[in-house]
Amino acid sequence: MKFFENKFTYDYSFPAVSLAYFLRYPNPYSRHVLTTDVIDRYVDPTTQRLHTTRLHLKKSKVPSGILKLLPKGMGGSDNSGQSYILETTIVDPKEGWMETESRNMEWTGILSVVEKQRYQRVHSDDEVRALDGLSMEHKEKTTVRTTVTFKSRLGQGKLLGWKKADHDGDDDAPKKGFFSSLSTAGIQRTIELIGVSRTRDAVLKSKDGMNVVLERLRSGGIVGVLEGMRRDREALGLDVHLKRM
Amino acid sequence: MAASIAPECNDIKEKYDTCFLKWYSRYLRGNGQSNDCDELFSKYKTCLHKSLKEKGIDSMLDDARKSSSETDAEFLKKS
Repeated sequence: MKFFENKFTYDYSFPAVSLAYFLRYPNPYSRHVLTTDVIDRYVDPTTQRLHTTRLHLKKSKVPSGILKLLPKGMGGSDNSGQSYILETTIVDPKEGWMETESRNMEWTGILSVVEKQRYQRVHSDDEVRALDGLSMEHKEKTTVRTTVTFKSRLGQGKLLGWKKADHDGDDDAPKKGFFSSLSTAGIQRTIELIGVSRTRDAVLKSKDGMNVVLERLRSGGIVGVLEGMRRDREALGLDVHLKRM
Repeated sequence: MAASIAPECNDIKEKYDTCFLKWYSRYLRGNGQSNDCDELFSKYKTCLHKSLKEKGIDSMLDDARKSSSETDAEFLKKS
């Protein structure tokens, strides 16, 4: 298992950031996100927190580095270049925080990626005093802590039945050579590391995307965001048939 | 607004999303008691679920939602 962690502060209020989170697709940095749907949404009657479950369809290929580690046929034919992401969020507007969790729904045996974020309103009394009399707009900030967990179960248990092959040590396996030079743990570690390196870029990109949406929100309000979205969506050419349809 | 995975649901989704945004802005300010968007959401959900079922995504979705909490527990145990 591998971890990735990142902390970041947005120069926007918590309501703006949480709104931008729900409105973040499409944006110029999210060309890979094809569709977004709300699966479930409710306000918990006791806590008054908003719970949302969304399904995103993203363009994504199994990285070639990982493909090389898979047995022939696996990852090849079924690699449609699209993958489903399940996202759950909980918002507490009173306490000023939002927690999100995104995970891949397929390929979880090869690599399960779980991204968790905690957005938190920052109340800095000093800052409020320093800015007293100035525009209130930039006063409030929102921090976000992102952790991503990578877990590969490749070769474990029933998924590929590799464990057996490992222990047999037969010479007849065509996998010999490259595969026998790597232990199951080694392959898992390699796959997890490939995931980590790709995530670094993805986290930066999603931050850039959020900032675009936040800037649109500040300059043009919700209408500004929606207009920007319309342009992004046209640029995406979303009416192209999705491969899975 | 982001497109739906089911193109035939795009119109109702857009209406629902717009309604939600208005509601959410109020909710963030502490006025989220109303349920203005319930009817639109239920129409959108009906459209979406039909399509998810046709595409065979519904069961995968159920599994993923179920295993969500289980895998968390498992991760913690194993590490």
